[in-house]
Amino acid sequence: MRRRLVRGLSETAESFRMAVGTLAANRLRSGLTTLGIIIGVTTVIAIVAIVQGLNKSFDEQVANLGAHTLYVDKWKWLNLDGDWYLFRNRKPIGLREVQAIQRESRIALAVAPMTQFGSRGKLSYRERELTNVQVNGTNAQYLDTGAGTVAAGRFLVETDVDLARPVVVLGADVLERLFPGIPAAAVLGKRVLVAERPFTVVGTLERRGNMLGMPLDNIVHIPFPAWQRIYGGRRSITVAVAAPPGKIPELEDELTGILRRVRAVPAGKPDDFTLNRQEQFLKVYKGLTGALYGAAIGVGLITLVVGGIGIMNIMLVSVHERTREIGVRRALGARKRTILVQFLVESALVAALGGAVGTGLGLAAAQLVAALSPLAAAVTPSAVALGLGFSAAVGLLFGSWPAWRAANLDPVEALRYE
Amino acid sequence: MTPALLAVEDLARLYQVGGEEVRALDGVTFDIAQGEWVAIVGQSGSGKSTLMNILGCLDTPSSGRYAIRGADVAGLTDDELADLRNHEIGFIFQTFQLLPRATALANVELPLIYRGVSRWERRELAKAALISVGLESRMLHRPNELSGGQRQRVAIARALVGNPSLLLADEPTGNLDSATGDEIVRLFGELHARGHTIILVTHEPRLAARCPRAIRLSDGRVVADGPGREVATLGVAQAVSA
Repeated sequence: MRRRLVRGLSETAESFRMAVGTLAANRLRSGLTTLGIIIGVTTVIAIVAIVQGLNKSFDEQVANLGAHTLYVDKWKWLNLDGDWYLFRNRKPIGLREVQAIQRESRIALAVAPMTQFGSRGKLSYRERELTNVQVNGTNAQYLDTGAGTVAAGRFLVETDVDLARPVVVLGADVLERLFPGIPAAAVLGKRVLVAERPFTVVGTLERRGNMLGMPLDNIVHIPFPAWQRIYGGRRSITVAVAAPPGKIPELEDELTGILRRVRAVPAGKPDDFTLNRQEQFLKVYKGLTGALYGAAIGVGLITLVVGGIGIMNIMLVSVHERTREIGVRRALGARKRTILVQFLVESALVAALGGAVGTGLGLAAAQLVAALSPLAAAVTPSAVALGLGFSAAVGLLFGSWPAWRAANLDPVEALRYE
Repeated sequence: MTPALLAVEDLARLYQVGGEEVRALDGVTFDIAQGEWVAIVGQSGSGKSTLMNILGCLDTPSSGRYAIRGADVAGLTDDELADLRNHEIGFIFQTFQLLPRATALANVELPLIYRGVSRWERRELAKAALISVGLESRMLHRPNELSGGQRQRVAIARALVGNPSLLLADEPTGNLDSATGDEIVRLFGELHARGHTIILVTHEPRLAARCPRAIRLSDGRVVADGPGREVATLGVAQAVSA
């Protein structure tokens, strides 16, 4: 029993020593052989790292946004079904809906109009001018729908809205570009022009980052009536309605009732408004990265198969070259299984070395992409384990036929082989 | 008398070559006792290589019986044959058949790896075997750093290290110059004197003449079996008359 264990251990140790020796003796050949595996693993690891990084930062972004907020809109967000024309002829949504929800909803914690999707404008301070800034006409409750936090000064208050005061709260990007190098507190009280009209800065917001590549900080907030004076009263707006955690489905039912009544939708007709949620972004996004994942894994698998065939080829050559050696080992008492294990260890080792190099390169590539672009990269132990495990498995799989051939050589023929 | 170490009885080995049946061995019968030094001689094609492969458990007979210490080899599995080779037989080849990248010591250790001998014990046994063939100063050299005679000594040490019942040498001097060949033959003489059983396959009458006993094969049959000097010269006489 003990002897068998010692035999197994010393045979395996011998297999490893031999495999390392063979690889070291044929460095160029081993390197070229593993190239396919290296490319495959590099691709997969890089893409997995980038996708995992994206997921992580996206999850963080979504957590910052109004996760418990419904957005009443004429349009369905991220509608990929191609039926936009169904929404086109809907009546615009306006202040009437905001007021109806404020008056009737028992669940809503905060109700605020928002207009930044439809209105972009010019912003200037002295000679400095920004174009294409989102102009959000809203009320004091807007921040309570999960739309950010104040960095300096204050947000809009009720009297600003009631009196249509010309005051403005700046998003982080706008602050940075309009007042470069000036601390947030120092811009309070400055007069800026929003669409050529003078407004006084009363506050600035903390940076929120991006969502799906769209900046959330290129925005200014002004009282809703002030916005209406600039952009007119006929544009359709969005209404953000916040619910307590877990009450989203109830809020949905309640809002549907209120909105159908105020918009006079006849019984039996479909809603002429949409209740949008942040999760829609999440769904589309996950679908997108899922497809990317699938494509990466597909490409990676194909490359690994190609690499595996390379390994099979070189192992066949190796078995051929060492025919006599196999004969000698068999004559000295090596069993078939011993020879099989010896060659399997060698092919698995070649492949795992390729996998290790590929994992390193893939992670480096991901870091490079992360450094040079807004994409993030996350390195997880599972990605490394995946790279090494997969390549070793490829080595075993594609090494098994050459190893089987080696083990089944006739010792007499093998010894005589020139 | 003690039972024979090897018993060969009516041994035959058939090959199919292009649909035709070739009898490489036909009705071969002999016994070899413990401690004998026997040459198997014959011209190429006489069947001596086939006989050596069967005696070495690398090949199995088509019919007839081959027993080592009274145990029939027929019907053994591949693994059992491998273990038998490992324990009972020490091979010495014409072309030495050393692993080129391994040191002399590592080459000699090889049979012990397949026997499950611990690393430390392996090293000690291999050193002892190399010393016994006079190579104590060459243990860590690789084959390409050794002369032909030294290489064959390493191969002999490898054959000896597992303390097998039988040393099986196939043309051991075939790749050596005559002086070195003589040295190796003297080494066989010493091993014989120490009690090893040796079978030496050769086509050289000169070599066979130095063995106490020789068996001559011709066309797969035993045509002579007797004292080496007589069987060897008989071969020369036949070759001359033919």
